[in-house]
Amino acid sequence: MQTTSPSEFSGWGNNFQSRSHRVEVASISALQALLTNTADDRGFLPIGLHRSYGDSALNSGGTLIDLSALNSISIDPSTGVAVVGAGVTITQLERAALPLSLFPPVVPGTGFVTMGGAIAADIHGKSHHRTGTFSACVRRIKLLLASGAVVDYTPKDAEFWATVGGLGLTGAVLEVELQLKSVTSNSADVSERRVNNLSEMIDVLASADADFEHTVAWIDLSGDYRGRGVVSLGNYGATSVKAKSSDSAGPTLPSIAGKNFITPLSVRAFNEIWFRKPLKNGPVALGKYMHPLDGINQWNNIYGSAGFLQYQFVIDIGKEEIFERLFAGLRSLKAASFLGVLKKFGAQSPAPLSFPRAGWTLTLDYSTKVPGLEKFLQEFDEELVAAGGRIYLIKDSRVSPALISAMYPEINSWREIRRTMDPDGSWQSDQARRLHLC
Amino acid sequence: MAIRSSQEAALMLNGFKNPGRIALIGGSSEIGMAIVTQLPENKSRQVILVDRSGEYALDVTDKAGRERVISKLFDEGDLDLVIIAVGLLGNNKDLSTADNLVAAMEVNYVGTAHLLELVADRMKKQAHGEILAISSFAQVRPRPDNFRYGSTKAGLDFYARGLALALDGTGVSLKILRPGFVRSKMTAGMDNAPFAITVQECGAYGVKALQSRKLVTWAPSLLKYVAFIFRSLPPAIFRKISSR
Repeated sequence: MQTTSPSEFSGWGNNFQSRSHRVEVASISALQALLTNTADDRGFLPIGLHRSYGDSALNSGGTLIDLSALNSISIDPSTGVAVVGAGVTITQLERAALPLSLFPPVVPGTGFVTMGGAIAADIHGKSHHRTGTFSACVRRIKLLLASGAVVDYTPKDAEFWATVGGLGLTGAVLEVELQLKSVTSNSADVSERRVNNLSEMIDVLASADADFEHTVAWIDLSGDYRGRGVVSLGNYGATSVKAKSSDSAGPTLPSIAGKNFITPLSVRAFNEIWFRKPLKNGPVALGKYMHPLDGINQWNNIYGSAGFLQYQFVIDIGKEEIFERLFAGLRSLKAASFLGVLKKFGAQSPAPLSFPRAGWTLTLDYSTKVPGLEKFLQEFDEELVAAGGRIYLIKDSRVSPALISAMYPEINSWREIRRTMDPDGSWQSDQARRLHLC
Repeated sequence: MAIRSSQEAALMLNGFKNPGRIALIGGSSEIGMAIVTQLPENKSRQVILVDRSGEYALDVTDKAGRERVISKLFDEGDLDLVIIAVGLLGNNKDLSTADNLVAAMEVNYVGTAHLLELVADRMKKQAHGEILAISSFAQVRPRPDNFRYGSTKAGLDFYARGLALALDGTGVSLKILRPGFVRSKMTAGMDNAPFAITVQECGAYGVKALQSRKLVTWAPSLLKYVAFIFRSLPPAIFRKISSR
C-alpha cells in the first residue's frame, strides 16, 4: 500500500484545487486496516479516474482511496452476467465483453469511468430513454463500510439505492455484478440529422426515441443561440467493423502554458465547422460511437489553467420555454460553449440522489472566466428549481446548498440511511461539505 | 448582507473561487467591512463577525478566549477566508502612557499574531483557505511621532511574512494589506497624512490583495515606492523631515 504526502488534485473542470493524501490500495484487507487504524477528522473518499467535473472526488485535508488495483473481470458467456472489480473502467469492460457478443447496456459519454464511479454517479448514456441508468443492470454491489465490514447489497436493499448515486459517501465499492446485453456485432448503425433550430431538434428527438436505442443531439451554444445542431440516432448494428483493440489512447492535448483556447470567437468558428460537417450514416465502432471525446487524452486542457465548469440539468417535458430564457441570458453574456448536448430522458431510478428523470436534459461547458456567468447561473438555478428542475451533482461546482433539498426531495431519507451505514462520518468529500449533503 | 446563524447553508469555496464562509475578526472594523462588502457577489455567502459582543464575542487580549473562538469557528465548518482586522491605533500622543502602549502591543501584536497562528493551524488541517492580515505603512521605519504604534505593526508584519512562507504547499495562503493613512472613525481628529485614502478605497485594495498572487499589497499602491524612499533616506535627512 502506497501513501503519498498531500498533493494537489482537481476535478475534470480544473476549477477546484484540493490537497489530500492519496492511498493506492491493493487489497480489501489493506483497506480495512487503513480504515480501522487511521483516525482522520477529514475522512476518506474512494475515487476513480477524476472525471467528475467539480469537487465530487476531492477531499481537502483528508484521504483519497484509489481502488484501481481492484481490476478483475469475469464474464459468464452463457448468462451474460459480469462480476467486475471497482477499478475496472467502462472501456475495459466493453473490450472484454465484445468478443463474447456482449456489451454493457448503459455506458456514459466517456469510457474513462470506473465501476465504482459509475455507481457513485449512477451514470446515464444515450440509451437512457430505453434502459434507464447504470444501476438498472446492476444485480449486486459489494461494499466496504466504514466499520471495515464487507457487505453485498442487492436492489432489494435500501443501502443499495443509497449507494447508487451516493457519490462514494456510503462506503467503498469493491465489486459489481451486472447483467450485460447481447449484441450481434461490434458496431452501431448511426444516422445523423442536421436541424436548424431548437424546436426542430426537440421534434426529432421526441419522435426518434420510439425507433432508436441511442439518441442524443449536439447543440450549437454560440452566436444567435437559435438551437441548431446535429442529432445522432443509433441502434446496435449487425455489421462488424475494424476497431481499436488496445488501451493505448490517442494523442494527448497538452496544456500550453495554461492558456485557454476557448473564446467566443474560437467557439463560433468551431461550431460553424461542426454544424456543417458531413453527416454520418452507417456503421461505427461501438467504442468510438459511445465515447467520441476519448480519442483525445486530457481534452479538458483546452480550457487552460483557468478551468471550466459543466452545467447539466433536467426539466420536465412541457417546460421547454426555460431553454429560451437560458439561451437569452447566455447570449447577452456573449458566452459560447462548444459542448452543448441535449437528450430526452426516460423514467428515474429508485435511488434518492440519482439525477436523471423523465424530461429534457441539457449539458453545457463554459470557461469560469466568462464575466457575469456566476451571477447568471445563481439566478438561473432558482428559476430551474421553481420550474421543478434539478442539476447533476457530479458535474456541479457552484450550486447553492440551499437548493439541494428542492432538487432532491428524498435527500433526508438518503441522509438517514447513510448515517446508519456510516455513523461516525468517515466518508467525506469536498462536495459533501460544500453542499451539506451528509 | 445578513449575518446568518451557523446552522444555515454556507457555501464552501466554489468553482469560481468565490469565498463562501468568511470570518471577520474585528467585526466593527470599518476597513474589514469595506473589504467584505466589496468581495464578488455570492448569494450563499455567510459572514461571521467576531467582535466584543455577540455569538462569537472575543476580547482580543484574552488568550483562552482567542483559542475558544477560533476553535468554535472551525468546529462549525470549513472557513474559506479569515480577515484579521483588530487593532488599536494611536499616534504617540495616545500611546504616551505605559498602559496604553502595553494595550496596543497586546492587541496589535500579541493578540493578532496569536490569532493568525490559531487560524493557520486549523486552516492547514482543512488544507484550503485564505487569511488576510492588516499591517500598516507605520511599520516601515520608526518615526518619533508614531514609533510605538509602528513597533506593534512591525512585529505583526514580520510574523505574517514568516507565516506566509511556512504555509507554502499547505493549500492555505496568507496575504498582507499595508494601508497608509485611512480616513475613518479610528483616525477622526487626526491630521490627514499624505496619500490618505477613504475606508472604501482601502476595502477595494483589500479585495485586490486577496485576488493577487503577491504577498503584500499596499493601499494606495504607490506607497510601495514611498516606503522604499522612506527606508533609504540617510538618517540625518530622515531626522530633519520627521521632527516637523
